[in-house]
Amino acid sequence: MTKPQPKLLQHVEELLQDAAHQDSPLREPLAQLYQHHLEQQEKLERLITIADGYQQSAHEDLHLTREQLEQQIRRQQKLSRIADRYQALLRERNLALRAASSVDPLTGLANRRRLNEQLEQWHATAERHQRALTLAMLDIDRFKSVNDSFGHGTGDKALELLAGGLQESLRASDICGRWGGEEFLLLLPETSLTQATPLMERLCQHLRQLQIPVDDDRHIALTASVGVAEHRPGDAIDATIKRADQALMEAKHQGRDRWSAAPA
Amino acid sequence: MLEDLNIIGSQSTPTIQSDWQGGRLYMCGDSYPENSYELFGQVINWTETFLGDASHGLHLELELVYLNTSSVKAMMDIFDLLEDAHQGGRTVSVTWRYDTRNERIAELAEEFREDCTFPFDITPQQAQA
Repeated sequence: MTKPQPKLLQHVEELLQDAAHQDSPLREPLAQLYQHHLEQQEKLERLITIADGYQQSAHEDLHLTREQLEQQIRRQQKLSRIADRYQALLRERNLALRAASSVDPLTGLANRRRLNEQLEQWHATAERHQRALTLAMLDIDRFKSVNDSFGHGTGDKALELLAGGLQESLRASDICGRWGGEEFLLLLPETSLTQATPLMERLCQHLRQLQIPVDDDRHIALTASVGVAEHRPGDAIDATIKRADQALMEAKHQGRDRWSAAPA
Repeated sequence: MLEDLNIIGSQSTPTIQSDWQGGRLYMCGDSYPENSYELFGQVINWTETFLGDASHGLHLELELVYLNTSSVKAMMDIFDLLEDAHQGGRTVSVTWRYDTRNERIAELAEEFREDCTFPFDITPQQAQA
C-alpha cells in the first residue's frame, strides 16, 4: 500500500466524526464508501496470505521433487555401474573359458579344437584369395620307448620342451598345436613348400639339440620326423592333412629324424 | 506371519529361503532369471511384510555370484528396505560370502554396501568344491 492512504483514511474518519458535517448529504455515502474500503482491504490481505502459502508449498514441492530426481539419478548411476561390472566379469569369464577350451593344458600350445578352427579359416582364405598354405605334421621319434624306459613324467617333460622348441623355431604368424599324443600339427599360412623348406631344416636342427632331463644328471636327446604338404587349390583341408600324414610316414620309413614333402 | 519362501535354485536362478521365526533370509547362486520381477517380487514382498509386521531383527545371508541388471536393481531395492528399517531403529544386518577365488565378487558387494549404514559384512570363504 502506498503511504498517502493512511493519511487519507485518517482524514475521512475525522470528517465522518466531525459534528459540523453531521447533516451533509455526502456524509452517509462517504461512510458507506469508507466501510466498503475497509472490507476490501481485509479481503485483499487474506488473499495475499493464501497466495503466499500456495507459493511456499509449490516451492517446497519443487525442492522435494528435485531432491527425489537427484536421488533417482544417483540410484540409476549406481545400478548401471554395478551392472556394467557384472557384465565385464562375465565377459572375462567367457574369454578365460574360450582360452581354456582352445589350449592344450600340458604344452600350452593350441589344442586340436583350436587347430581345426584355424585350419577352416585359413583354408577359406587360401581358396578365396589364392594364397599358399602349408601344413607340417610332426611326430616324436620312438616316443613310446621314452615313456617305457623313463616313465610318463619324462615323456611329459619331453612334450613340454619340444613344444617350447617348436614355438621358438616358428615365425610369429605360424600356429603350432598338439594334434594327438606325441603328434604336432604346424600351420604355415602364406607359405609355399619352397618357402617352408628352410623352416623345416631349422626345426629338425633345433629339436636335435633339445636336452630332456631324465634325472638329476642324465639327459636324453630326442628327434622328430616331419611330413610337409602344401595345400592344393580345390582340395578339402582333410586331404591336405592326409598328404602331410603320408609324408610323415615316408620320413619315418626313410629312417626318422628328417622331414619329407608330399608330392604336389 | 507370511508363509516362508523356499525357492529352489537353477542354473539361472538363485536358491532363496526365508525363515520368519529366525529372522533370516538366504540367497545363493547365480541370478539371471527370465522374469526377475516375478522372482524378486516375492522376496521384496516378504522382506517388506517382515519389516512391517515382525518385531525381531532380520539377517540376510547372501552367497550370490553373477547378477543380471534387473537382479542388481532388486538387490538395491532390498537393501533400501533394510536401510529404511535400520533408520527406523530396527536391527538388520547382511553377510555376503564370496569364493576366495573370485575377489571381484567382493568388490561388487562393496559397491552395494556403499550407501548402507547397517552392519554389512563381506566375508571370504574357501571353495567347497
